[in-house]
Amino acid sequence: MKKRFIIFLLLCICNTAVWSDVANDKLGVIGTLPLPYPDHWVLAHDVGFNHMLNGKVIILDAEQQTRNKQYKGTYDTSLIASVAIAKTRPEMYVYETFYTRGNRGTRTDVVTIYDKASLNVLDEIIIPGGKRAQMLPSDFTIHLIDDEKYLLLFNFTPSTSVAVVDVEKRKMINEIDLPSCSLIYPTGKRGFSSICSDASMVSYQLDKKGQVKNKSKIESFFSIDEDALFERPVLIDGIAYFPTFNANLREVDLRGDKAVPGKSWRLRTEEEAAANWRPGGMQLSGADSMGNLYLLMHDGGAEGTHKYPGAEVWVFDVKNQKRVRRIPLIMPGLVVEISQDKSPYLFVTNVEMNIDVYDALTGKHIRTMSDFGQETPLILFSAN
Amino acid sequence: MKWFDHITESISRKVAQNSSRRSFIGGFGTAIVGGAVIPILPVARAAEGHGGGQPTAPIDGAVDDPASCDYWRNCSIDGFLCSCCGGTSTSCPPGTEMSPITWIGTCKNPHDGKDYIISYNDCCGKTSCGNCFCNTNLLDRPTYRPHTANDINWCLGTSSAAYHCTVTLVLGVATKKA
Repeated sequence: MKKRFIIFLLLCICNTAVWSDVANDKLGVIGTLPLPYPDHWVLAHDVGFNHMLNGKVIILDAEQQTRNKQYKGTYDTSLIASVAIAKTRPEMYVYETFYTRGNRGTRTDVVTIYDKASLNVLDEIIIPGGKRAQMLPSDFTIHLIDDEKYLLLFNFTPSTSVAVVDVEKRKMINEIDLPSCSLIYPTGKRGFSSICSDASMVSYQLDKKGQVKNKSKIESFFSIDEDALFERPVLIDGIAYFPTFNANLREVDLRGDKAVPGKSWRLRTEEEAAANWRPGGMQLSGADSMGNLYLLMHDGGAEGTHKYPGAEVWVFDVKNQKRVRRIPLIMPGLVVEISQDKSPYLFVTNVEMNIDVYDALTGKHIRTMSDFGQETPLILFSAN
Repeated sequence: MKWFDHITESISRKVAQNSSRRSFIGGFGTAIVGGAVIPILPVARAAEGHGGGQPTAPIDGAVDDPASCDYWRNCSIDGFLCSCCGGTSTSCPPGTEMSPITWIGTCKNPHDGKDYIISYNDCCGKTSCGNCFCNTNLLDRPTYRPHTANDINWCLGTSSAAYHCTVTLVLGVATKKA
């Protein structure tokens, strides 16, 4: 009897397990991202070099081991857009170009504003004139200043200018013509500096309406032909550290109203100079939150190798002008970025266009993020 | 350069699976080959500061092949070669528009030993060609000196800034500074 009861009970359980329906799903569920983004997330801007109309920023969690867990979401960018990511607001800014018929038609330049959590478009700001600078992506064609209240945009026609956008009012409030100078290096309380074609600089301070309050000219201070400054410095505590083609580091103090060129120091020993170790790459430089500068380096350098991939990343304590470590890369790299926490990750877009992840303090390779639908992630942004 | 061996092996083994990444990466690979394997053309020669001198015979036919990154005119190019895109090294593919504003390079012709000013005009108005990407950078300089900066999209003065490919036009023989 007991045996029959147990068999009956088992049959009931099995019957229920085999025959019960899968529960219905709710329609229209959309994911959102946590804020703030975890420190070891990285945003890869894939400009889509083979189809520039369809670029995208891909958000990845470098702590995860598998692609599906690494991949967090994307937002679109058009025609080699300039991208800036706010640190104090949950917003990201994409300065991009659209034509009414894809790659042709009537042109409109806009700043598209994305929400960090939902990755939805919050707003857009039309920037008139169709002058947006289109070039390989950089942190210095677009920049937030004055506690992120203003967004500066670099234009190139080839005449150059900087558009000033009031972020809170969602409006362009000024355009400043530049005297044959390029790019945006944040300077002082509410200003920027640009490097000019004769190796001089010009600095501007703005009032709250984005108008020029004062303008300063800094005389030529380097040789573009003999030892050019790379246009991508590293900013640490208000000082810009520009690597040079011949492996020096030039400091430019941007803390005051105008740029003040400072000291220059060597990045390599005599032996390393004899082997022609030089900086090179695309986004070739970065910094952690502890005052260290990271630089992609290749040996056998010469005139024309300044975009070569780096076999190593060299790390410098900029206050003490000292190299603290060399990180050999498992695959040569073109792009570096470093997370801003106290246990930083070093992200490297390598020559296969995958992202190698290293422990920035020990140089240990942790993993490679690959096959996530990317083609040309030519600039990386740390999450914070 | 140990990494050079690594990159060529790695590229040939893995990248062939993805044609769009390969076309981009191949440009870097070819440039590296041009710099490392054939040291006298064009990078090292410029590093010697030579502005003229005796011509040397090309090491292989690549310096005369407009579809190669090692073509002598391609010493400071960044983009897709129009020779691989339905155009030639001096003409744009059908349906595109040649940009009148551009950057220039100075390249040595190995046949006569002279340096020529090369104008790298972009052909515009269509999506990227995608073939024969090259990035060689002899005398290229950053954006703050635009006329020698090849990172810029030079589709300017055209009805569309969409970049398709780049041609290489001889403007004249370069003259030495006094």
